[in-house]
Amino acid sequence: MTAAVRDAETSRANAGATMLPRLLPATGQPMDLSAHLKVHGRAPYRGGPRMLIHTIESAGLTGRGGAAFPTHRKLTAVADQKGVPVVVGNGAEGEPASDKDKRLLWSSPHLVLDGLQLAAETVGARQVHLYVHRHPELLRRLHSALAERAAAGLDRIAVALVTAPPRFLAGEESALASRVEGGAALPRFTPPRIFERGVNGAPTLVQNVETLAQLALISRYGPAWFRAVGTEQEPGSMLTTLRRADGGGGVEEIAIGTPIADPLRLAEHPAQAVLVGGYHGAWLSPEQAGRLTLSNADLRPLGAAVGAGVLAALPTDRCGIVESARVVQYLALESAGQCGPCLNGLPRIAATFMQLADHRSAPSAQDDLRRWSKLVERRGACHHPDGTVRFLRSALTVFADEVTLHEARRCSASTYKPFLPIPAGSPGHEDDWI
Amino acid sequence: MTSATALWYASRATGVICLVLFSLVAVLGIIVNRQGRLPGLPRFAVTGLHRNLSLLTVAFLGMHIVTAIADGYAHIPWLSTVVPFTSGYERFWIGLGTVALDLFAAVIVTSLLRDRLAPAVWRAVHWLAYVSYPVIVVHSLGASKDLRSGWLLALTMATVFAVVTAISYRVIAAYAAVPRHRLVPEQLAQADKTGSLR
Repeated sequence: MTAAVRDAETSRANAGATMLPRLLPATGQPMDLSAHLKVHGRAPYRGGPRMLIHTIESAGLTGRGGAAFPTHRKLTAVADQKGVPVVVGNGAEGEPASDKDKRLLWSSPHLVLDGLQLAAETVGARQVHLYVHRHPELLRRLHSALAERAAAGLDRIAVALVTAPPRFLAGEESALASRVEGGAALPRFTPPRIFERGVNGAPTLVQNVETLAQLALISRYGPAWFRAVGTEQEPGSMLTTLRRADGGGGVEEIAIGTPIADPLRLAEHPAQAVLVGGYHGAWLSPEQAGRLTLSNADLRPLGAAVGAGVLAALPTDRCGIVESARVVQYLALESAGQCGPCLNGLPRIAATFMQLADHRSAPSAQDDLRRWSKLVERRGACHHPDGTVRFLRSALTVFADEVTLHEARRCSASTYKPFLPIPAGSPGHEDDWI
Repeated sequence: MTSATALWYASRATGVICLVLFSLVAVLGIIVNRQGRLPGLPRFAVTGLHRNLSLLTVAFLGMHIVTAIADGYAHIPWLSTVVPFTSGYERFWIGLGTVALDLFAAVIVTSLLRDRLAPAVWRAVHWLAYVSYPVIVVHSLGASKDLRSGWLLALTMATVFAVVTAISYRVIAAYAAVPRHRLVPEQLAQADKTGSLR
């Protein structure tokens, strides 16, 4: 570690290490390169592979894409492989309820790009990609950010932008690898795992863009600074996408271990349930949401997870079954149709759930849903069926009273205006996956 | 039929059975490939039928070969089971049978080892089945005069017709194939129409 880095680390650690936001600019104004360099300075290259791994391990950084896998283990696994690795920054959040990656790329692109370079140095990669959705303005911004960095000589490896199709599964690791190779963003069977054989057969490090930005900060300010917020087991902060019951919300950076009720302001805006982790996540009852913190230590025992940091508080005037059925139908339509259980099972599940929502279900509907859920679980190439039935089961449990009402052809809601965002249109053409 | 001719008849009979079985296996293989159904059978049973009938074919093929060689009238050396065109008797027609046997053996062995092979390898070798079929038919018609007339000719024609039909179906279906993700909305609409079925 150079003296300059150590100084920066100390000064930063002294000056409000617990202050948030860390990733997003405090002013709210997007950080251009000069602002970024003024605040954070240049990326602190370590001068060789693996040099950063120990720092990341002490920091305890985990993947922010949803799986919360320890980042240092992924870095080590990729660096250990034979062959020259490829690094891909994953900014293609397919999750309709999540905006945090887009927001991060828009507001702090240079942290992500620093992180990409540092990760590439750490695993010894010579090819770096950034995988993002086709938002023309965001792409333009990233292109100009990359050009600026090239002109300033900041990047050691040129970053190639790859666009993702607007599909739920586009950000899944194997779908990403296939897309970066130039093919359709369809999930593949694993093993081989992506870190062993990913893009064009090369060992591939896929990291969520927020993970990369966190890595860029840790490499500057050190593990102690990183651990100044968060819990012992799950240190640091994370970007969350909030949807409050009053319709407010947005992307906020919060410390892991913060009570779920706080950012959602549940005391002010009561909710009938809280969705954590997105559409592959789970519903919590108001009692659970009031008691638990945003941490996997609290959520995993309930079968839920922090995931990619989606928190949505369902207003009391909506129907949990109707909202959930819309989501399950969306998820079924987002199936890549590659595996039988997903192609045949999810539409059947979605249709029956929709019938329950519409008060035209058979008496056996709830039993059928639970039985079919077991039949599709762990039977896909990717986790799409597993995530879908996790969401469905939590809905049937948390909205159990509402299910009973619906079986009696009644509903407690006063409005059916959609609350959870559902993108329009399902894949109808091969190009939809490219 | 005397004991002297028993082997000869057995060889010809098992040959005809093999031809019929080969045709059935080919048709079933194409159905499996197109993920088709047979009435009253779940999909996995079609695959199972394809596999088991092909193993049954191996058994009859074994009898066909052993009886042909054991029979003293036609002098076919053991070498001819592996190396084509080494038989003194009907060198060309028997040789074609050997070629078909070698191809078939490759298909069977790779299928038995399928779990340990790269899918692409298994697939490439499995395509040889399409090469072996016409060789089998020509071998049958050439080596046996029985098949060239009467009901055995009709049977041969029927099996060839079935396989040719299946191949045409495969070609046409492959052209008309809908990508599987496009089937999902159809499945959803259908599931909603049928309602929740017990």
